[in-house]
Amino acid sequence: MTRRRFGSKLFAVTTGIAAGGPLVVMLVLMGVLVRDAWPAWRFQGLSFFSGTVWNMGNMYANTPIVRAGVQGAPGASFGILPLVVGTLYSSLIALAVGVPIALLTAAALVYLAPKRVSMWLSPVIDLLAGIPSVVYGLWGVEVLAPFVQSRLGPWLSHVLRIAPFFHGPVGTGMGLLTSGLVLAVMIIPIVTATTRELLAQVPRLPYEGAQALGLTSYESVRYVAFPWVSSGVIGAVILGWGRALGETMAVLMVSGNAANYLPTNIYSPISTMASTVAALLDSALTDFTGLAVHALALIAVTLLAITMATNLLARSLVALGRRGLEAEGERR
Amino acid sequence: MKSGHSKKAMLAVSSALSLASLTVAGLGGAPAAFAQSSAHARASAVRHTSGPAVRLQETGSTLLFPLFQLWVPAYKKVASNVFITPNGTGSGTGIQQAEDGVVQIGASDAYMSTGLLSQHPSMLNIPLAISAQQIMYNLPGLKASTHLHLTGSVIAQMFMGKIRYWNAPQIQNLNRGIKLPHAVIVPVHRTDSSGDTFLFSQFMTDTNAQWAQSVAYGTSVPWPAVAGAQGGNGNQGVVQTAQRTPYSIAYVGISWLDKALSHGLGEAALANRTGRFLLPTVATISAAAGQMIAKTPRDERISLIYAPGANSYPIINYEYAIVNENQSSAVVAQAIKNLLLWAINSKGGNSASFMTKVHFLPLPTSIAPLSRAQIERIHG
Amino acid sequence: MNARAIRSKAAWSMAALALAVVMFAVIDILALVAGKGAAALNGSIFTTMTTGIAGGLQNAIYGTFALVGLGIVLSVPIGVLAGVYGALFAPDPVAKFFRFVAEVMAGVPSIVIGYFGYTMLVVAWGFGFSLLAGGISLAILMLPYIVRATESTIRQLPHGYMEGARALGITPADAFRTILWKPALPGVLTGVLLAISIGLGETAPLLYTAGWSNFDPNWQLTKNPIGYLTYVVWTYLNEPYSAAHRLAYAAALLLTALVLLLHVAAKGLQRSTPAQ
Repeated sequence: MTRRRFGSKLFAVTTGIAAGGPLVVMLVLMGVLVRDAWPAWRFQGLSFFSGTVWNMGNMYANTPIVRAGVQGAPGASFGILPLVVGTLYSSLIALAVGVPIALLTAAALVYLAPKRVSMWLSPVIDLLAGIPSVVYGLWGVEVLAPFVQSRLGPWLSHVLRIAPFFHGPVGTGMGLLTSGLVLAVMIIPIVTATTRELLAQVPRLPYEGAQALGLTSYESVRYVAFPWVSSGVIGAVILGWGRALGETMAVLMVSGNAANYLPTNIYSPISTMASTVAALLDSALTDFTGLAVHALALIAVTLLAITMATNLLARSLVALGRRGLEAEGERR
Repeated sequence: MKSGHSKKAMLAVSSALSLASLTVAGLGGAPAAFAQSSAHARASAVRHTSGPAVRLQETGSTLLFPLFQLWVPAYKKVASNVFITPNGTGSGTGIQQAEDGVVQIGASDAYMSTGLLSQHPSMLNIPLAISAQQIMYNLPGLKASTHLHLTGSVIAQMFMGKIRYWNAPQIQNLNRGIKLPHAVIVPVHRTDSSGDTFLFSQFMTDTNAQWAQSVAYGTSVPWPAVAGAQGGNGNQGVVQTAQRTPYSIAYVGISWLDKALSHGLGEAALANRTGRFLLPTVATISAAAGQMIAKTPRDERISLIYAPGANSYPIINYEYAIVNENQSSAVVAQAIKNLLLWAINSKGGNSASFMTKVHFLPLPTSIAPLSRAQIERIHG
Repeated sequence: MNARAIRSKAAWSMAALALAVVMFAVIDILALVAGKGAAALNGSIFTTMTTGIAGGLQNAIYGTFALVGLGIVLSVPIGVLAGVYGALFAPDPVAKFFRFVAEVMAGVPSIVIGYFGYTMLVVAWGFGFSLLAGGISLAILMLPYIVRATESTIRQLPHGYMEGARALGITPADAFRTILWKPALPGVLTGVLLAISIGLGETAPLLYTAGWSNFDPNWQLTKNPIGYLTYVVWTYLNEPYSAAHRLAYAAALLLTALVLLLHVAAKGLQRSTPAQ
């Protein structure tokens, strides 16, 4: 008996130690990143986020310059505004395109398609979530970019010719719009799956009651079912947003790799924060002062902070939504 | 031992925990497929060396990469026990990963900076051959036999966004008789850290004062903001991007010339110091080399850009192997030495059969001893 | 028909259209990969190694299995135990906090792991480009999924199990060891399969930790670079050679087929989970 109790205790303690694993990994990861990023922050300060030029400085100079006690190559200056803009814009396009499609798709799967059909279609859409991002990149390069270049781009530019950001030279299809569309396809399965599962859990009674009261089927979904699941859906949307913000390879393949300028229209080449870390880590490591690597670490810290913030936001929105629903229930 | 390598896998994994640094693949390194090809090689090899299986990683310059692609299978016949993985990742990566000791041979079109070298004094910059770089453009409708005349300064202005259209007077004046389109110029640059960027930006620096002031040179430079400008990863990525992008202009390493031409890109004739417009050919590259190589110092770090002389093509360079003279073991060191000595041998890797395919020139006879002396310094 | 009915009809048409668009995208991606990949696939892909920009994929296939395998070996024990702790032993706020950590961890952009992997594992700790550095990086990416799958599976087990155990005076640990693990197993395995599919598809962190090799893995843990399939897709698509493109498509097809297989297996497991 005592041995069993000891065994139980030991098991519980072992699981407890293992549970600390992810925490330790995260703390080490953040510790290393912040340590590496710190010199770049001291060197550059807030202009890191407002500057538009990423200049590692003259790496063939013989003597470094010193600012705020930090060494850098002469001329070094690190501004990531174009990357921030590229990241934000591409992820917002992904949301603007992906979320409505995902919500409509989920509604169609739950309410429109015959059960047997949706039983087959749902796993197929779930599969999208598992496709490696390089395969998305490949699809983007081979299919989407040429489509944007020759069809979608010229059409949009023509139809929306009064809208400044949509009108202009369409370029090669490598750029903001294609990046956003690839990201949209990547987040659609995330949002669709969650919404579909939540909608399926909505009690039939209020939904049918709404229709009995004379609401159309669309109105019952829109005004009864969706509010019921909104908090979970918002959580999934923000999760998808986080994924879009941090996506590296697919964007790297279709972004056009713009350097040091802001997108002038929606077809413009861009670069994102994640793709820049991937693309520039090698070159940064050739900076004899080490500052360029610190600057990349600062991008990584910023990315990490943004993804953590979106996560927190998603959680608090979900909690808020839940509280709201409960309050509503009490009022009734 | 070779056939049983998968059975021993688990054992090897656990024992590898204690054998921390093993580049020499003692345990079942060579797979069956290679045992066969090495047997074949043994029969036909000229000067076959054998020994324990050694794995070598070469990474870096995408300009040198096509040559390494030719060298590796050929060298297999010389030393069947050496397994080489070449990789085209950009010269900066070659320099940096060789420094960090994660690869044995870094390939670079750029020599290491003095700053880097002072931090890593055991690194060697070993020229293996002479190469060149050409400026290429995607101008639909222009015949391949027509070579636009461009000067360094004009190219610099195109990459700085000062010249925005192909039919701008600065370009048109150099190309009377050619109908240039009123189309926006799309500069294409390298996104990775690149020796080609180094060569290109040195030429720009030498020919345009404003470029020298604001951009200067290096394996990565702060690209001027030009709306629509694009980046490509490696020479291969630049060729693909330029090919996909009408009205683009790009700098491409000469080992990619044939590929780029077959993809429909045009090749510019560049103005040299005397104002003559030249294409990179054996004659113009060796003329430029002839002007410069005598200045090569013992550590062989020297720029050959913008050589004087009427027949000199302006963008040529040494192709370097960046190697740490201290290697992890004597076996690895010897394998690297043998490979590099073969590479610069005029009957080995420097023979015309390799050089002409990538449009490189072999190492001049006056320079080969310098490289050989550096190679001899590699030890375990 | 009144305006509201028309609006309803219109909305449902939009929904059907959205579904069609999504299905079209899925089919288009699969058709591209399957069509061009199948044309490139032949027996020698599995039996020969990559040579520069051509050859086969044997080294990449073995390497992928080795890397994902090591990632699983490292992440599953920790992840499952951590999930058990969160579900059975942790006080509520602690469990909540650990869940948050797992979620944040799942959201870490993979290139951040790549940065960490290169500067710490590869250089500072001297592993070099290697199976170990790549495997650890993948394990970090996989871990949160296994933790979450384990915890939520156990939490969703019918309350009867735990209450029965408590009534019999059995500790949670014993309850888990004797009864709970069995109904939880399919759910945990589903999580592991998901983690495997994530590991299979990673590129960015491996570029900076595993490196690349044209030769089969030699089962050295450190200092020996190792190949993987995603590298082929990413790098060879960038080469202006049709042989390289074919190889990239073949690798993409293999990856997609493996992911598909894992999804089917996971669905099968979910079906075998006892009804709640």
